[in-house]
Amino acid sequence: MTGQAFFVLTALADGPRHGYGIVGEVAELSQGRVRLKIGSLYGVLDRLADESLIEPDREEAHDGRLRRYYRLTQDGRRALAEEAELRAATARVVRARLGQAGPAAAGTAG
Amino acid sequence: MSSNLERRYRRVLRLLPGWYRERWEDDMAAAFLDSWLTGDPAADEYISKVAGPSSAEVASVAGLAVRLHLSGPATPRRYAWGQAIRRAVLALLLVHAVLGLDLLVLVTWSRRLLGLPAPPPMLATATPGGAWDVVYYVVSFAWLVIFVTLILGRYRMARILAALAIVPGLVALLQAEFTRIMPVPFGSWAWWILFNLVLVLAMTAFHPGAPPVARWPWLLALPAGYLLVIVPLLTLRETGDSAWVPDLAGQCCLLVALACLAHAPRAWSRRAAGSGVWSLALILLAAIAGAYRMVTLTNYLYDPHLINVGLAELLIVLAAVALVAPDAARAQATPTLPRPRATAA
Repeated sequence: MTGQAFFVLTALADGPRHGYGIVGEVAELSQGRVRLKIGSLYGVLDRLADESLIEPDREEAHDGRLRRYYRLTQDGRRALAEEAELRAATARVVRARLGQAGPAAAGTAG
Repeated sequence: MSSNLERRYRRVLRLLPGWYRERWEDDMAAAFLDSWLTGDPAADEYISKVAGPSSAEVASVAGLAVRLHLSGPATPRRYAWGQAIRRAVLALLLVHAVLGLDLLVLVTWSRRLLGLPAPPPMLATATPGGAWDVVYYVVSFAWLVIFVTLILGRYRMARILAALAIVPGLVALLQAEFTRIMPVPFGSWAWWILFNLVLVLAMTAFHPGAPPVARWPWLLALPAGYLLVIVPLLTLRETGDSAWVPDLAGQCCLLVALACLAHAPRAWSRRAAGSGVWSLALILLAAIAGAYRMVTLTNYLYDPHLINVGLAELLIVLAAVALVAPDAARAQATPTLPRPRATAA
């Protein structure tokens, strides 16, 4: 799963959001590191929809425009949980290795 | 109301393929306008007049357009075929895996490896007598590994193992052809081509962008296939009532026909989303089983009765395919993303 897809799924984890709502939520989740352009966002949404990880929730009129909301499917929720677990496990390994390598690396450098 | 800002953005969106715009353009335009407009009429009027998509925004749409034009991952037709091929591949691998499981059970039973009593004489398997026997056993068991490997998402590993697994069969056929010990029946070549070579080539449909395989249903299909197909066949063989059982090609035709019949209610129900992909997959499997049946009819040229039986099997599979064909045709035209329900706000 790409980083963008991971953030988009995470943005939908606590409820349906429309396109620009996802952009804002992803920016907030990533502390401003990931700022999705609309073209990039809909490339990700298209793939996630094809994989049945998200689905349309509803449409709402807003200032004369229709906003379409998306939500996670059960498969999407499961995929996100698995990805989060994988990333957490990877982070644990990285932290452990950095912890082990730290003193040795410092010794070598010194 | 279409503002200048919206028109400018929609002009950029024309870079995208038509099928994609039909699906996403309104959504993208709405999201883009959301990113600009403030809700203050005066400010929004000014923004709409002077603003336009940034170069980064244009670049993101252009990048998406290039990707879609080059790889075209998701036209409804293309997606449906991709999914159908992947399911047909899994079904063919399931056939190999069930046959491998059959051999594994018989070997385990014959060797009394798990403290089992001796099997009936009809079911006992001989100890491998030579190199080819050993290779046959190894390849048969390898299909079990390949099936599970693919389901677990290790596509590349599964493809490599499958490509290796079909080599001994080809070598054996070529050896028999060239040494002329005995003429190789067309059916043996047909089996290798349809159930080995075509299968390995079709496994390329499992690329990193493909949707993940539904693991549990396919894993459970292995013991289910063994219990529902192999156990009755072994029972018939043991009781000596197996003379009327069709040959392997006939069994393939009848299994596909039964699967079509089981799927037909879903295929005919307008509410069953995604049924068309299964209908397409069943048509692919029927084509393979039918081709195998036709080629193996040449084994029975000496017996008109068996030819008639084979033709009847072909007719059965054709009739069964007719049941799901309309649904398969719909699957190629229907977008996979359902329309949302509209609500007033």
